[in-house]
Amino acid sequence: MERFKFIEDLTSDVMIEAYGKTLKEVFENAAFGMFSVICQIDKIRPEKEVEIEVRADNIEELMIAWLQELIAEVDINYMFFSKFDVMEISDTYLKARVFGEEADPKKGGTLVKAVTYYKYKFEKTEKGYKVRVSFDI
Amino acid sequence: MKDKLQKISDYEWLLPKGVRDRMKVDAKIFANQKIIDAAEDAAVQQLTNVACLPGVLEPVIGLPDMHWGYGLPMGAVGAFDAEEGIISSGLCGFDINCGINLIRTNLTVEEVKAKIKELIPTLFKNVPSGVGAKGPLKLTREELDRVLVEGIDWAIEKGYATKEDKEHTEEKGRMDDADPSKVSDLAKKRGIPQLGTLGAGNHFLEIQEISDIFDEETAKKWGLHGEGSVVIMLHSGSRGFGHQVASDYLKIQEKAVKKYNIWLPDKQLACAPVNSEEGRDYFSAMKCAVNYAFVNRAVMTKWIRDSFEQVFKKDWESMDMKTVYGIAHNIVKLEEHKIGGKGRKVYVHRKGATRSFPETPVLIAGSMGTASYLLKGTETAMEKTFGSSAHGAGRVMSRATAIKKFWGETVREDLEKQGIIAKSTHPKVLSEEAPQAYKDVEAVIETVHQTGISLKVARMKPMGVVKG
Repeated sequence: MERFKFIEDLTSDVMIEAYGKTLKEVFENAAFGMFSVICQIDKIRPEKEVEIEVRADNIEELMIAWLQELIAEVDINYMFFSKFDVMEISDTYLKARVFGEEADPKKGGTLVKAVTYYKYKFEKTEKGYKVRVSFDI
Repeated sequence: MKDKLQKISDYEWLLPKGVRDRMKVDAKIFANQKIIDAAEDAAVQQLTNVACLPGVLEPVIGLPDMHWGYGLPMGAVGAFDAEEGIISSGLCGFDINCGINLIRTNLTVEEVKAKIKELIPTLFKNVPSGVGAKGPLKLTREELDRVLVEGIDWAIEKGYATKEDKEHTEEKGRMDDADPSKVSDLAKKRGIPQLGTLGAGNHFLEIQEISDIFDEETAKKWGLHGEGSVVIMLHSGSRGFGHQVASDYLKIQEKAVKKYNIWLPDKQLACAPVNSEEGRDYFSAMKCAVNYAFVNRAVMTKWIRDSFEQVFKKDWESMDMKTVYGIAHNIVKLEEHKIGGKGRKVYVHRKGATRSFPETPVLIAGSMGTASYLLKGTETAMEKTFGSSAHGAGRVMSRATAIKKFWGETVREDLEKQGIIAKSTHPKVLSEEAPQAYKDVEAVIETVHQTGISLKVARMKPMGVVKG
């Protein structure tokens, strides 16, 4: 199964659609998609590990909170990530280990300022889950 | 929605409130025919959405650099009554107090050209830029809180800025009543390491030549050294700190919309009544981000001065490197405006819009490789646009499309052929900001000048660019 793809949208700057057979997978793949924008992900070695915990009111908000938290990590810990391992997940709670290396602007991509609600859609499909999310860049 | 536009003059277009249900006031676009022809229908639609919000004042304004943004287009103004109105994180934008500082010099083009190949790398080294760039300041929590409250006064105390810099900054570099307790822990964590960094995307530091002066008297009053002298333009904002404040309050205000039963035509327009807790808290937190950005640009101004000192072996005062002016173009302000002949307190949301008060400087940045302008504010702007003007060229192409369409290396070579030296952390930045991805800045300037919402003082053309 494809992890994610970029969606053409006339007005939004960057929109992705991520897929997963399970909740765990769709969260991991959405993060992978977002970091494909933020950095040159194929050049990022998964050598340093950070643990992430997020809570939200429901699964839609949990996805937004997870991506937001990862954007903040770039600023706080100077990290680019390339590997995501969601260890625990429910509709309102997520715990993950994410792997990457110290951010080097030479391996940077496009600065993602925020995750937006523009055409945001989180859905259950026949094959699992699908999320459509756009970023303010 | 574009077909509903009514032409008032060659530069003004009306969207009367009848064009859709629930519009409370008219919307108005300032643009010439060429800009209107290219305008996105979705952006025009967004103006009419904002015209439906509680307490909105007439008109909702689209400026000539208008392009689709989150909720409200970039290049737009929404004003709301200070009693009945709303305040909105979405209408202000994610990059709170994104703005421009213009620094003058008494150096000539020839003097700077002779050193430009040394100057650009020195600036690139001294002013951290790019995604994931580290700032050299090591702030403590307490120190950050002082930055948020005191704004440029903190930078003066630490020796980064001068009292004169403060005098030449919008809001004198400090918005009062900023309250750090209204800012999330996450925002503060993001703010600590990033103070004194340029950022990425459309942010830049540019060495420019004054190519034309249109208003000698004003140019002189503002201390410019005439045509053929060199100025520096710095475009940056509140970095991850401001992005986080905006995101946090978008969530809080989304809940407020339900709590106060506000009807929204678009979920992105999350807002809160101005006098509600959610409204007041946002304003206090936004002011923290505004002050952070003033300090961010002040600190980088110091490093720009240091870089010139290193390269030209003179002190910055002897090069007259004073701040001409520093403006904000993503901000909410509580101002007094004349409405129906009477003074009224108004929350003005300027999103990709510059304050244009009579005789105050207005800065409009061109796209990379094209000219930028210094203008002066006018009484006409007070009457027509809640004292506002445009902020830049305005995109015509999304960043994603621009990256696919242009090669960063080719963009750099093209610029070099025009004599402009560009340096970025990696080539992709140059492609997403390719000049072709933007509207023609000259058309934007023609519109603001002809409508009189700001008047041309000087035109600056780029000599060298540093990008994130």
